[in-house]
Amino acid sequence: MDGAIYLNQAEAAIQQPKAAKVSLVIQPYVYASVFSSLCIIVGLIWDISWHTSIGRDGLLAPPHDVIYLGAVFAGLFSAYQVLRTTFFGTAAEKQASVKFWGIFYGPLGAMFCIWGAIAMLTSAPFDDWWHNTYGLDVVILSPPHTLLAIGMMMIQFGAMIAVLSSLHGAKHDNGAMHKWLFVIASGLLLTSFYTLFSEYLNKARSHSAMCYIVGGILFPLFLIAVARATKMRWAATATAAVYMSMMLIMLWVLPLFHASPRLGPVLNHFDHYQPFHFPLLLVLPALAIDFVFFKFQNKKPFIKVMLASLAFLLVFFVVQWNFGGFLQTSIYARNWFFGSYAWYFGANPEWPYRFAFYPDFIETGASLARGMGIAAVVAILTGLLGYRWGSWMKRVQR
Amino acid sequence: MRALKSVLLTGLMLISLSVFAHVGSPGVIYQGKAGPYTIMVNINPPDVIPGTANISVYVDNQQVSHIYAQPVYWYAGNNGSPRADEALPVNGTPGQYQATVWLMQRGVASMRISVDGPAGKGSAIIPVMAVSTATRTMPKSLDWQLAGLGLLLVVLMITIIGASVSDGTQAPGTVRSSGPKKYMAMGIAALILFVILYGGSAWWNSWSSNYRRFLYKAPLAHTSIIKHGQQMLLQLSIDTTWLHNNNQLISYVVPDHGKLMHLFLIREQTDDVFAHLHPLRKDSSDYLTVLPDLPAGRYRVFGDIVRWNGFAETITDTITIPEKPVMQNATQNSPLLYSDPDDTYVTSNSINDNKNAFTGKFALICGKPGTEMKLADGSTATWQHTAGTAFEANKIYPLTFMIRDPSGQPAQLQPYMGMKGHAVIMKYDGSVYVHLHPVGNYSMASQQIIQNRINGNQKIPGLPDPERFRDSVDQLITKIRTMTEDERNNYLNANMKGMDMPAMNMSSDSMVTFPYAFPGPGNYRIWVQMKRDGRILNSAFDAVVE
Repeated sequence: MDGAIYLNQAEAAIQQPKAAKVSLVIQPYVYASVFSSLCIIVGLIWDISWHTSIGRDGLLAPPHDVIYLGAVFAGLFSAYQVLRTTFFGTAAEKQASVKFWGIFYGPLGAMFCIWGAIAMLTSAPFDDWWHNTYGLDVVILSPPHTLLAIGMMMIQFGAMIAVLSSLHGAKHDNGAMHKWLFVIASGLLLTSFYTLFSEYLNKARSHSAMCYIVGGILFPLFLIAVARATKMRWAATATAAVYMSMMLIMLWVLPLFHASPRLGPVLNHFDHYQPFHFPLLLVLPALAIDFVFFKFQNKKPFIKVMLASLAFLLVFFVVQWNFGGFLQTSIYARNWFFGSYAWYFGANPEWPYRFAFYPDFIETGASLARGMGIAAVVAILTGLLGYRWGSWMKRVQR
Repeated sequence: MRALKSVLLTGLMLISLSVFAHVGSPGVIYQGKAGPYTIMVNINPPDVIPGTANISVYVDNQQVSHIYAQPVYWYAGNNGSPRADEALPVNGTPGQYQATVWLMQRGVASMRISVDGPAGKGSAIIPVMAVSTATRTMPKSLDWQLAGLGLLLVVLMITIIGASVSDGTQAPGTVRSSGPKKYMAMGIAALILFVILYGGSAWWNSWSSNYRRFLYKAPLAHTSIIKHGQQMLLQLSIDTTWLHNNNQLISYVVPDHGKLMHLFLIREQTDDVFAHLHPLRKDSSDYLTVLPDLPAGRYRVFGDIVRWNGFAETITDTITIPEKPVMQNATQNSPLLYSDPDDTYVTSNSINDNKNAFTGKFALICGKPGTEMKLADGSTATWQHTAGTAFEANKIYPLTFMIRDPSGQPAQLQPYMGMKGHAVIMKYDGSVYVHLHPVGNYSMASQQIIQNRINGNQKIPGLPDPERFRDSVDQLITKIRTMTEDERNNYLNANMKGMDMPAMNMSSDSMVTFPYAFPGPGNYRIWVQMKRDGRILNSAFDAVVE
């Protein structure tokens, strides 16, 4: 704290003597927020599988409980962190926090987590009323579900910020642990991004330009932000690896458990969970981002981002077009490893396009070229936005 | 935001008037057999789909070990049913079991009630029309709760954004700056949040309007009187523009109790004239019947139809019958149209007094629980219920009527359209209308159709050719109409075989019972129709429900 300029003399006079007691360990709320992020994504993917396999749920269905556990865990630990810092914190702890509403001190990450927890808990009575008014859950995105999703993602983002501020703002040498925590937190949020937009990114859409436009919006934005925010050389790749690992674990573990449809009509019968999707092979295009950032580290940001975004899109397109085709059509994908057999209980299993591309979702020639052109433009734009976002994350101190 | 607020602040819950095979009486009641067991079932279907149906099963003096309830959709067939839910005994009410079953899709559904016990296993199929009928607004308490939390979220987010660009990025211990950058960021955040909230509100409104678009609406119709040669005909024309706009097809109507449509006319304000007619169709959307000699006045019109997939609904309209009806679309030299042999109408005292206001004509003086009333043929009808007692809403009652012949002996009742009796219950103000039978208030044609679907092959059904389908149904109706009464009753009984229902058994019993739960408090009139000595016996009663 040498050389620190305090807000006012009184604060300095009262708090300076305690300034030496800076915590050298990672605060519990940081671990708690990453754990919450994990709960949220496990609960979310389980919930989707639950709806695909069982159908019937309620406010306190097991997957919802896991999601809410994440909300409560993040909310309580973060609130505790804020209240402890405010009322019992040392001067150094207060000086390492942001101050808000005149009295409260707390880390920025905790504030995001608190916001996310309140949003998630707000969505519960809203969703309950929604069900009574417009019918029980039938879609992923409704206004109350969107509030829930924003809350969940805010907690996950809060976890990333908590790790970053802990890394940047405190004097300790847990660098490796921080980097891993950051990559895990980032990968978990990336999984949420995929899940939320999976309608456009799943294997059945991999031969349509929309898949790459949506991918071009989401992934350069996020992966470039992550690559920019940390000094890790393979941050984007590691984040994509966490996303893929998370998806694969859920893909392989859920079908081990018994589940059968509890809602009619049942057109597809089974007795075990229908898993969520095989992940996009994001490790490969993410590798392209990291490679460009490493190879052209001294170039101007615009050039670097443009190259990274385009490299990402190119690799993403080549890999996913082919791999998506395999997942959608090949009989070798209809097994536990790739999970392409999964089918909603209420959908006709004899549907001719279950293992083929629906004609409306196939694009070739000029239409595809136009779509990919749009994807390239949006990928550069969102990549630039991601770079700025990452620059801000790089500066987060408290 | 204004739109959002208008939804948020409207306050009390409003339920729309539901109309499908009834008006304002959504509960489905079944009285009959489930294999060796006699059961009564009361199903309260959800008013929003997807939603849950609450099911009560009553078993009298029989030992059962398990009762299950399972939804069976006509579209998905037997194989498309999810695992059944067990109905659990209700504490303190021996013989009553309760289950909650989800109905996930709109359409023709049914509940299979399966009973297991020492006497073996048995099941019953009860049709349920799964449609959304309710529109609700947010209760005020929740409205304020969400508004408060929403405000907190907005303020906290603006705070976070402000902190993110100020002390959040400053090294620990350095001075906290609150420069213009912070306030500019907060301003931009507020603006973005406003846009997000506005977008959310628009999304909510579009969701709400989409939901309303798929709310169940009975087909609109126009009823008129036309001259057909020397005859006066009543014509009910279904609005084809409405059908087109609502993506509905009307060619696929099937007979229920041997009739394409059961058309009821009840005089408004007084409820003192009641007619039960059975029109034929001229084409897909126009139904014609000979207009009986009804007193002038404005009438409520209720037309019950069943579609080929078992969807039963009630078309409503009103018509004014003048003293001397004005002719429209007069057609000369047309062949005579015959009344359906089961057409009937009856006059009674008005709901406003207890006298016969039809000078020179017979009129029923409506009975009340426990009192005897005179019928047109000199016989009497008595409502077997304690005199002077009011009914409770939403509680199942066996509405039992005893008929005695003019000599005071128990009457020998005959089947009327294959049933021991038909009844119509209407609330005085017309807000409740239901057509019921001794087996309950569901459509027996729907039940038969779903049963056939369960027994048949389990392929997903395709839509038949409309013209061919309509033609074959019309031929069947003509055939039924030309049968003698015995032939018709035999045909209807044979058609209902396999639908294990003792209530249809024509014993020498002179009593007929209709199970029913009045949906709400108020005054109701009940018309009961039976047959004796080849004549349709109409009786009418009044009930007070608290």
